[in-house]
Amino acid sequence: MEILSVQNLCKSYANFSLKDVSFSLDSGYIMGFIGANGAGKTTTLKSMLGLVRKDSGKVRMFGRDFDQNELDLKQHIGFTLGGVDYYAKTPIKRITEVARRFYDNWDDSVYRSYMARFRLDESKRPAELSHGMRIKYSLVLALSHQARLLLLDEPTSGLDPVARDDLLELFQELIENGERSILFSTHITSDLEKCADFITYIVNGRVVESRAKDELLDAYRLVKGTGEQLGGVAPRLIACKAHSFGFTGLMKTADLRQEDALAAEPPSLEDIMIYHAKREADYEKPAV
Amino acid sequence: MKNLLYKEFRLVVSPLYFLTVLFGALLLIPQWPYFIAMLYLFFFIVPNVFANAKAINDTGFTMMLPIRKRDAVKARVISVAALELAQVVTAVPFAFLNMSVYPRGNMLIDANLAYLGCVFMMYGIFNVIFFPMFYKTAYMLGWPLALSIAGATLFAFAVEALTAAVPAVNHALDGISGGALIRQLPVLGAGMLCYALLTALAYRKSAANFEKVDL
Repeated sequence: MEILSVQNLCKSYANFSLKDVSFSLDSGYIMGFIGANGAGKTTTLKSMLGLVRKDSGKVRMFGRDFDQNELDLKQHIGFTLGGVDYYAKTPIKRITEVARRFYDNWDDSVYRSYMARFRLDESKRPAELSHGMRIKYSLVLALSHQARLLLLDEPTSGLDPVARDDLLELFQELIENGERSILFSTHITSDLEKCADFITYIVNGRVVESRAKDELLDAYRLVKGTGEQLGGVAPRLIACKAHSFGFTGLMKTADLRQEDALAAEPPSLEDIMIYHAKREADYEKPAV
Repeated sequence: MKNLLYKEFRLVVSPLYFLTVLFGALLLIPQWPYFIAMLYLFFFIVPNVFANAKAINDTGFTMMLPIRKRDAVKARVISVAALELAQVVTAVPFAFLNMSVYPRGNMLIDANLAYLGCVFMMYGIFNVIFFPMFYKTAYMLGWPLALSIAGATLFAFAVEALTAAVPAVNHALDGISGGALIRQLPVLGAGMLCYALLTALAYRKSAANFEKVDL
């Protein structure tokens, strides 16, 4: 069942614009939303949720139009934009006491069990928690009202490797019953290699790829060759880096030919991200 | 809305802010421009409410809740209106005390029913300037405060000046005799109506402005 669908989302600023951002996510999966800093990840999430006024586009959650069913749909989603950066000096207990009133499906037993599991102390204030603990608290709030769709903006950035791994394991556990989905933005591609089922990759406000992770990795090859070989394959490369021994570049698997005689290997997500970003940067480079 | 108001008073508007009502006691100062007593709310409390909300990133939390953007505006307008109403209501006993302690009246407008009506109007003018201006950005506080306080102060100054210079206005607004107070009842009513209309207008314009803000 399609739990989230974003179609042709557009938003223009003076120096940046989201251009026809489209992707969808089914129930029971994790989608990683990747892109470099400033690529438009947060703007996309905010536009989806109405925090930023979109110029055009449609957002549907659980099969219903978000704009027309905002209040009801917000009861079933949980989102965090950069963790708990509010009420730094207010005890968590008081924040929870306020938050719980807004949700029809709030379940105190779920709240208590996650608070205990994450070793979160209600008497503490957000300012006294580590970044990881704050992220966990925001997840507790989302999970306690039985959110079926979690939209998380860079939940892993700033976490140490152990805390990150812990969080990614939790994400996988959360979708296990097949009824919940998670969309989380990140620029740390190794997070996605561990847990994402789908990847949506945004470069400079435009979605370059949105598909299953394995399919995406299969669709590209990291190729290496000599300087002489570069001329013949350059038009088919996404982008390349030349060095004294030749070049390394990214190419669509479909564009790779036997006669190229290049050394080809599967790329990592980071390779795909870097070469696509390089291609965009090359296009934008002013002619000298 | 009930939940949002609970959030306002539990997390943003400290009960201590309601101590502003004590400024009502300034009505006991003899021979004084009594509008000033009612303006302290805008000098100290309202700026504090908004600066505090900004410091604790109240908008960040509120926008995560299952509400619409305009609901957040309504809750904040009602919270400030609660402070304003508390201020005026608490001023009433001090106004009556003033009239009984100073039977010869005030050199400027007396602390009478017309004065309370004009305070309502002054608060309405503040609201209709401040809220829509603030919610154009939802974070810039300086100009909206400066201009709304200037608007409210100018209104108070105009009332004082007209009461002193124009006999008909003086007849309608000044005096603490029984007859004068009865004469002033429509002014009080008009002031309350004006406050309600201006505050409702302030909310509508602010909500429309806030909808356009990219958070």
